Amino acid sequence: MPEATDKVERVVREALKIACPDIGIVDGNTHLASELGLDSAQVMDMIMEIEDRLDISIPVAAIAEAHTLNDLCNSVRRVAGEA
Amino acid sequence: MSLLDKFAPLAELRGALAASGSVPSVATPMDEIHSATEGTIDGRRVLFAGTNNYLGLTFDPECQRAAIEAVEKLGTGTTGSRMASGNYAGHRALEREFAAAFNWPAAIVFSTGYQANLGAISALAGQDEYLLIDADSHASIHDACRLSLATTIRFRHNDPENLARRLERLGENARRTLVVVESLYSVLGDRAPLKEFVEVTQRHGAMIIVDEAHSFGMYGPKGLGICAEMGLLDRVDFVVGTFSKSLGGVGGFCVSRHREFDLLRLGSRPYIFTASPPPPVIAAARAALQRLLKGDDLRTQLWRNIERFNSAVTRLGYRTGTQDPGPVTALVFSERSEAIAHWQGLLDAGIYTNLMVPPATPAGLYIVRISLSAAHTDAQITRMIEAFEGLSSRLRPAA
Repeated sequence: MPEATDKVERVVREALKIACPDIGIVDGNTHLASELGLDSAQVMDMIMEIEDRLDISIPVAAIAEAHTLNDLCNSVRRVAGEA
Repeated sequence: MSLLDKFAPLAELRGALAASGSVPSVATPMDEIHSATEGTIDGRRVLFAGTNNYLGLTFDPECQRAAIEAVEKLGTGTTGSRMASGNYAGHRALEREFAAAFNWPAAIVFSTGYQANLGAISALAGQDEYLLIDADSHASIHDACRLSLATTIRFRHNDPENLARRLERLGENARRTLVVVESLYSVLGDRAPLKEFVEVTQRHGAMIIVDEAHSFGMYGPKGLGICAEMGLLDRVDFVVGTFSKSLGGVGGFCVSRHREFDLLRLGSRPYIFTASPPPPVIAAARAALQRLLKGDDLRTQLWRNIERFNSAVTRLGYRTGTQDPGPVTALVFSERSEAIAHWQGLLDAGIYTNLMVPPATPAGLYIVRISLSAAHTDAQITRMIEAFEGLSSRLRPAA
């Protein structure tokens, strides 16, 4: 995977690695569902991992439109107050 | 690209789920129903081990008679909402009977169990309020959250510590939060740590609603559910349930120890904007509730069946979804092909079960779900066990 540029991206990538252990290089524009094949349950597990690591609660609606890794990072930054 | 193109992957999934035989595992066509435990599928008489007919009341003579009488006296439907012309004496009586059974002041009947969750949860938590839901919640709970204007946050499945952290983060807003859990989860059959959930909820000044869809009728004094069994009815705020499982009909209810809950019917869209349940449905539900409250004989037979069946599958080395035997037994497989082979093998042996696959299952598991009934006779349970014995010698169960 490319090197993460900030804490949120690093945590999101770590959570993705847990959800998809065999994952290779993932570009920020990679689509989580259609390209990585993550189902809704896997995305949910990934979100919980991010919440635990950043000690935040991410509302369901905050990630409803997050389709790519970059989308997800931006949503998490907004919730974490870092956007 | 047309609106319908997005359904193409579903066609692929449906094809993959079609077992090697001719009978689909999804939306399996039930050609005939002979009793609470037997029917005909694809021209073959089968034993049902995959319904939610936990007490076998779909063919209870009193329930049938009550439904027939109601049709004759009151007609086939109400054609109106409870807020308009559909507020019959039977609906009001059933609500009084639910409230009395729980010894609580308020009860509301909904047209389905799905709508009970939708109607109660979406109205209880609104704008600038919070819903904290278990990550493995039923679709009706997720949909209720979508309908609600509240902020929805999920916590890890059956993890009171995880819930506590989320309530702590909410600070003062925890007092404007509804915690939503199920007492028994329908996919794996696992029970929630309700006592711990209630303690965490109360410590933060929040309220809790417990969905007893798969436990009402089977647990606790008079079958009132797991909250009653655990002595939590003086601490839980709302209990929601369905008529379509142990009560053998269709419909839903929510009861509360808070008198003000009755006002919810004036602000709950899924309660207001739909027709009320038809008279025969309400009459059968009333008869079923009285049957359930009358004695423990059905529960005794059900638990006897559960004990026999679970001992057998454990002896045969199957991995199950929980160590806590209950009316739902989930046989867990890591490979889809193995689960399909078991589902098909059981059907070939004349036993109908449920095949469940991701994303409808947690942790990407493949599951053959067996649900037992008080209406299963000792001989029928023996038949199920023999089918599993035959299969396990042919197909290796998951480690």
